[in-house]
This record gives sequence, C-alpha cells and structure tokens, in this order.
Amino acid sequence: MSVARWAAPLFTLIVAIIAGTFYGVQLVVLTLAAAALLLVISLLWSSVQALAGESELTFEEAFSLGTRTAEEEQKRAVLRALKDLEYERSVGKISEDDYHEYAARYRAEAKRLIQVLDENLAEGRKQVELELARRLVKVASASTENGVSAEKKSSPSASEALGDAAKSPEKAEETGAPATRECSECQAKNELDARFCKACGKPLVSPAEDNP
Amino acid sequence: MWQSLPELGTGIVYAILIAAAYTFAVALAAGRGRPRLLQAARLGAYSTSGLVLFAVLLLSYAFVSHDFRIRYVAHYSDRRMSTAYLLTSLWGGQDGSLLWWSLLLSGYVTACVAWLKGRYRELQPYVIATLMVIVGFFAMLMLFAANPFETSIAGARPDGEGLNPLLQNYWMIIHPPCLYMGFVGCSVPFAFCVSALVTRRLDNEWVVAVRKWMLFAFLFLSIGNILGMMWAYEELGWGGFWAWDPVENAACLPWFTASAYVHSTMIQERRPMLRVWNVFLICLTFFLTIFGTFLTRAGIITSVHAFAQSSIGTYFVYFMGVILGTSLGLMVWRLPELKSKGQIEAVASREAMFVANNWALLGGMTFILVSTMYPKISELWGESATVGPPHFNRWMGPIGLIIFALMGMAPLFGWRKTSGTSIKKAFRAPLLAMAVMIVLHAVFGASLGYPPLVPRDAFYPGFVGLVIQKVGSTLPAITIALSAFNVAVIVQEFVRGVNARRAAASKRGEDESVLIALLRLVEKNRRRYGGYIVHLGIVSMFVGFTGTAWNIDRETAMMPGDHYHIGQYDLTYLGSRMCPGNPKCSPEEQSDIEKRMLFADVDVVRAGKHLGRVNPAKFFYQSQPDGPTTEVSMMRSLREDLYTVVGQIDPQSKRATFQFHVNPLVSWIWVGLLILMTGTITSLFPELSFGEVGAWSYVRAGAGVAAGTAFAVWIAMAPSMAYAHERPVKAHVGPQLAGISEATLARRLPSSGFGMAGFAGLALGSVVSLARRRRDNANNSRD
Repeated sequence: MSVARWAAPLFTLIVAIIAGTFYGVQLVVLTLAAAALLLVISLLWSSVQALAGESELTFEEAFSLGTRTAEEEQKRAVLRALKDLEYERSVGKISEDDYHEYAARYRAEAKRLIQVLDENLAEGRKQVELELARRLVKVASASTENGVSAEKKSSPSASEALGDAAKSPEKAEETGAPATRECSECQAKNELDARFCKACGKPLVSPAEDNP
Repeated sequence: MWQSLPELGTGIVYAILIAAAYTFAVALAAGRGRPRLLQAARLGAYSTSGLVLFAVLLLSYAFVSHDFRIRYVAHYSDRRMSTAYLLTSLWGGQDGSLLWWSLLLSGYVTACVAWLKGRYRELQPYVIATLMVIVGFFAMLMLFAANPFETSIAGARPDGEGLNPLLQNYWMIIHPPCLYMGFVGCSVPFAFCVSALVTRRLDNEWVVAVRKWMLFAFLFLSIGNILGMMWAYEELGWGGFWAWDPVENAACLPWFTASAYVHSTMIQERRPMLRVWNVFLICLTFFLTIFGTFLTRAGIITSVHAFAQSSIGTYFVYFMGVILGTSLGLMVWRLPELKSKGQIEAVASREAMFVANNWALLGGMTFILVSTMYPKISELWGESATVGPPHFNRWMGPIGLIIFALMGMAPLFGWRKTSGTSIKKAFRAPLLAMAVMIVLHAVFGASLGYPPLVPRDAFYPGFVGLVIQKVGSTLPAITIALSAFNVAVIVQEFVRGVNARRAAASKRGEDESVLIALLRLVEKNRRRYGGYIVHLGIVSMFVGFTGTAWNIDRETAMMPGDHYHIGQYDLTYLGSRMCPGNPKCSPEEQSDIEKRMLFADVDVVRAGKHLGRVNPAKFFYQSQPDGPTTEVSMMRSLREDLYTVVGQIDPQSKRATFQFHVNPLVSWIWVGLLILMTGTITSLFPELSFGEVGAWSYVRAGAGVAAGTAFAVWIAMAPSMAYAHERPVKAHVGPQLAGISEATLARRLPSSGFGMAGFAGLALGSVVSLARRRRDNANNSRD
C-alpha cells in the first residue's frame, strides 16, 4: 500500500508525459481521467472494506478514539487567559491589583482542572500499571527460564517508580508547606509543584530537599 | 469522437450524488456509536472528491476533442482556440462554473478530511456528513438545472461559438474565482459548527478547529472583493470602483460577518461566553455565501453581473430553506447548553469593545442587505422603489466610521477589565496623533488639494437630512483623523510589545536588539500582531475610500491640438488613430485580427513636467461590430490617478468627447489589500507544538503556508488565463509606473507572481529556521 502511494502517481505522470509527447493533449487528459477513476475505485473499495469491518484498525485510529474531555478544553482556555494576563501586565494594560486578583483566580481554576484531569486519568493509570507489572513478571519469568536472573530485581522497581512519580504532587501538599515558595535566585513566587522558576527559569529545589 | 461521452459525464454527476449520499450515511453511522466506520466515511469523502475531479477531466477532454454535441462546449469554445484556452474555458459559463465550484469544494473537503486525521474524533463524522450534503446539493443542481454535459437538441455543430469577446478581459474573470475560494471556504466552518451542535461538544474545541479555516476564507473574501473593485475601476469606465450593485453587495455581506466572527471567537476561546453569537455568525456567514450565489444566478434583482435567468434559483431557495431550518433548529435545540457561563466584567474591556464592533459590523451588513433587497421587498406592497449608490454612500460613510473608530479603540483595552489610569495612558499618544493630524489637515489640506471639509448636497429634507449633510461634509476630516488615531494605536501596540520584551530580556541579563525583539514578538503572538497588520491594511483602504471625496470629474469635447486643464494636469489632445492601419500603431496593435481599435492620444503634463501619453480607446470586435467597448487609460501614482475615457470620436473632424477624472489616493486601496494579505498570512502561520520545535518544522510550516496560499490563488485564478489576452499598451506610462503593459502584467500575475510568493515564503521560512537554529545552538552551548 505504501509503495503504491508514491508509485501510482509517478506511473501516471510518466504515462501522461509519454502520451503527451507522442499522441497529443487529448490522451494526456484521458490518462489523468483514467488515473482519477482508478483512484476513486480503489478508495471506494477500501471504504467498503472498512465498512464491512475487514480492515485492521491502525494504531493512529485507535489512539484517536481517546478524545479530549471538556476539562482539557477548559484547561486550555484558562491557560490562555493566564498567558494574556502576563502579556497585558508586561505592556501595562492592567493594574497590579487586578492582575493579582485575576491571576489568583485563574491559577486556582487551572489547578482544579488539572486535578480533575489527573483523577480522570487515575483509572487508566492503574490499568497501565497492572499491565506493566504483568508484562514485567512475564519477562522476568522468561529471563529466569533463560538463566538470566540479574534483571529480575530491577523490574518491579520500575512500577514503583511510576507510582511514586504519580503521587509526588499530593505528597507536597500534605506536608503543609506555604502555598507558594520563593526562587532562591530571583525571589519570584512559584507554585509548590513547579520544578523550574517561572521568572528566571532556574531549577527549583524541592521543599523535601530544602529541609531534610 | 467518443460516442457515449456526454452520457458518461452525466452518469458521473449521478455518481457524485450517490457517493456523497453514501458517505453521508456512513458518516452518520460513524457518529452514532460506530466509530470504526469513520475510516469508511473518510475514504468515501475522498472518493467523492475524486469523482468530481474525474468529471472535470472528462469535461476537459470534451473541450480538447471539440465534442460540440455538448451544448456547453459548443457555447464556450471553437476550433481556433489553443489548448490552454480550451482547458480553462471550462469555467466560463453557469453550468461549468457550478462544476468549478464543486471542484473547489471537493478541494476543501479533501484538505479538511486529511487535516482531521487523528483529530476531533467526535466532531469528524458530522463534519464530513455536513460537507457531503453541500457537495450533494451542487451535484443535484448540475443534474436538474445546469448539467455541463447536456447535449444540444440539434446535434453536433461543425464549430462552436467561441468566447464572447466582452468576457475576454482579465479583471472580469479574475475576481469571481477568488470570491468563490472565499465563499466555498465558509462551508468548512459551517460544517464544524453543525457538528458541534449535534454532538453537544460546544466548548472551545470546535472554535479552535474552525479558526484558521475561517481566516483563510476571510482572506479570500477580502482578495475577491478588492479585486472586484479593481475590475470595476479599470474596466467599467465610469471613474469609480464600487457601484453598490446588488451582486457586489452580495459578495461583501459574508465579509462583514466573517470579520465579526474572527473577533468574537477570540472571546469564546478565553471565556465561556458569546457561544450562541458565534454559532449564529458562522451559520449566517455560510447562509450569506449561498444567498450571494443565489442573487448572482437567479437574476431576481437586475444587475450587470447576473447570469441569464434560469430555473436554478428555485433550487437555491430550497437549499437556503434547509440551511435556515437546520441551523435555527439546532440552535434552539441546544440553547440550554449554549447558554453563556461568563459575563462581561467591565465596560472598559476588550470584550465589550469587540461586542460593540460586532454589532457595528452586523449593522453595516444588515443595512446593505436590506437596502439591496429593498426593491424586491417594496414590491410586496406594490411599490417599485430603486435604491441607488447615493443612498448607500450617505449611510455607509457614518457606519463605516463607527466600525473604524471601534477598530482603533479596541486594542487599547485589555481583556476582562482595564483600569482608568492605564486607559488614560493608552489613549494619550493616539489622541495626540489625532489632534496633530486634525491641525495639519486644517492648515495644509486645502493647499494640497485635500480640504478637510467638502460641500455636500442635502439628501433628505428636514432635520435628519441636515444632520446627514453636515456629517457627510465633515467625513474626510474625520476619516483622516481616525486614520492617524488607528495608525498611532498600532504603532504604540508594537512599541509597547517590543519594550516589554526588551525589558524582560534585560532582566534576564540578555540584550535583545529592537529588530530581534520585534520579530520574536510577532512570532510569539502571530495572531495578535497579524491582526494589527490587517488593521493597518484597513486603514490604508479607508484612506483610499476617502479620496473619492476630493475627486475631480470633468467632461469635455476637444479638437486635435486643444488643451484642457484639470487639477494639476495640462492635457493636450493630439488626435485619433485607428489600429490596425495607422502607421503610428505598435506592431502588436497592427497584427490584431480580432478587433479594430480607435485610440485618442492625449499628452499629459503635470506641474510643468511632461509625464507621457494616455490613450483611451473604443474597441470594435469583429463578432460585435455594433457594440464597441470602452477602454480606460490611466496614469497612476500613490497621490492620485489620472483616469481618462473617450466617448465619441468624429472620423472626419477627429473631434472627440472625453471624460477626465482625477481620483486622489485610490492606489492606497490596493496597497491596503497587500498589507491585509500580509497580516492574514501572519495570523494563519501554523502554531507549532512544543514537541515539534526544530528548524525543519519552521521551514515546513513556512513553505506550507506560502505554497498553500499561492497554490490556492493560482487555482482560483486559473480560469482567468483563458481571458488574459495581449492588449496594446494603453498608457505610455510616465515615471510613476515603469512601463509594464497591463496585459503583460496580467499574464505575469498568476504564474510568476504567486510562484514568487511561494519562493518568498520558502525563503522566509528558511531564514526563520536558521535564526531559530542559531539560537538553539547558542542555548545549547550556554548549557
């Protein structure tokens, strides 16, 4: 199929050029028309095949089945509003008080939406973890059969690490640290879960590392 | 000759209808819980487009093989025409232009379906279904009302009629296809809108999806309308560019709603509000495109543009009924979901300004619509009123200025809420610029030939009439002042943005030069600054429109050797010559066998400087010896155009009647179009996702946009090449426009002009990408 994708037009073009040189423009038009008709027939054929359920679902199609949720769209709108706010503050179109008021409001909204999205993902994540663990066990058992046991130890830790990564934001909230924290370089206030400073871009040291 | 070609052609049109119906059904099934059928629907959409292409190729074959059994071929071609002319005369008449319309639509369908791959999974089925209904409608039109493959009852003729010489001019044909591109482009946003309404996915998703499609349609609506003005200006020979003809009006109506939409969508993308409004605007824009086509083709209102009256109007009426019923029904059905969840927080906000501007744009649209339809409406109560250009000019001046003023003010406000101090700060410089301009205009205007106040006749009796008269006479002053205001606003926006960037950079300890900051600013906020560039184009157009207030129009009769003074020009009539035949004619003029040309040569001197010669003419075509065409001759500059038309020339005494016009500032309209195109293309430039950053993605995007736009323009203009024929050099153009004859210009325009645009786009893409790569490298080395 993938070869036909470029070979067929190329072939048509060559035939059309030959027809044009030796037999005149009428045959060129006919060649192109014939090619168009063949294209239509093949497209219709694949369409009917897909209709009858005989064609395979490609990865891209399967991936696209998971559509964006409304929350994701709202999140995008809120992030866009935040971007606007930053811009308007930088060109002086909004007063500082208003900026802080709106920024706080939109940040809270964004945080809520991100949490909702995270919760929505929890189910899927759990499944992925289970699947991953299952496969790792399978791989591990296969490798022990082959007499390679060294990798076995490392395999369960991968899923643990995944779980840890997922939990870390909540951990940070539980510690009861202040709602924002300052960047050690430029003293800008950043969200707790930020890894880099939003003002100067320097990496932020996490509170856990700050006060061990 | 291929015996069954006409039947095959008709069969293919049936096949288009069937394939569209099939795709429609499969797409609906895919939308109603059988997602795996989507692939079948997508392939169905492609094959429907393929069938349209096949039909077009079949008709081209009929043209090149001179199959005069087909009425359309016999009507629009003859055996003498070259292949290129034959192929492109496919789109000359009503039946063929419907097929052309379908081809453009299927181009949009293919592009849209390909673009949708893997995106907007839930909207997709209904988008395809809606587009298929529109394709199906045009297939039905071709089958039942205007079949391009219909055979003549009398059988094949020995030769065809050839092209009507009156159609053989470049501008006449160049603007409708561009408009088609814009008109047809409005189908895609409409399809998304219907799809969002059906699936209840009424959040921002569809609005974001539609954005660029609508901008693309807006771009072509603008190009089509302005090219239409150029045509009227250069070919109709009455000295103006916009006659408020019903068909011209119909073409500009969707432009108003489309521009309203590109503004109000920005609000919905940020806030959950104006949803009903946006849905309404999209449906209205699409409806107006169909309505405009209906006005052109059904011939219900007399107009110079109208095709011959045919039964086609009835089908359009049904289709408009379907569109109205569907969109209104869906809107009412989804009203609870569409309800606004936000509200405008302050009057001093950009939202409020946009809403006001939307109302003004819609008001302008409604005024034009009602005034255009008024002759028809007034028949309802037995009156037969005519609405002429003066009526439009009186009212559209003030309405246009309201839109213009709001356009200037909106950027000064921030989103949500703007504090009093920042408004004061923002308005300071533009108001100052405006005040300076008013003073300058009052002091120097009259001596330069642009007085701020012009006398106007009273149009209506009574108080309202007096107000309109007063406002009318101050319009030039107000427009020029507002133009200064607008330009100052745009410049200030750029300056503020650049300053903010540089301040942020210096805080980081980097140094950004003004130029780099400007480029990055536009790159990071393409839509915002692209929009400002579009505004600048509109300012330029408004300046051009205002020029009409200072027009000088004269009519005179002259004998050879006579002088005439108009504006700052001294004109000397040298005499007339008939080409071919006269020894003074150029070789091209001598060898013309299609027509005889009667030129009147006039020498032009401006302020003591000899500028060259203009030669307005009358052309007598062999096929239509009784109806000579009037050929304008012009001398253009940014300051003003000298526009000359010859009425009658006495063969014995060589006494000629002339119309001379001095039209100030008209060229700024065409300049404005170029600026507007630049701005829209800046906004259209694809936004690159973070995952895709890299030099190549920029090259690809730049080349994609440039090539896409250039290709679209080229496709849209393809038919015009059939009509672009060599014409004698009309004006021995002076220093203002180096001697390119109009005909060569016309020929060069579609091929090399847009090829150049493509290459320029590619070059731009490469430069941006190189800059980007250098910066990335610098960052990497710093790390």
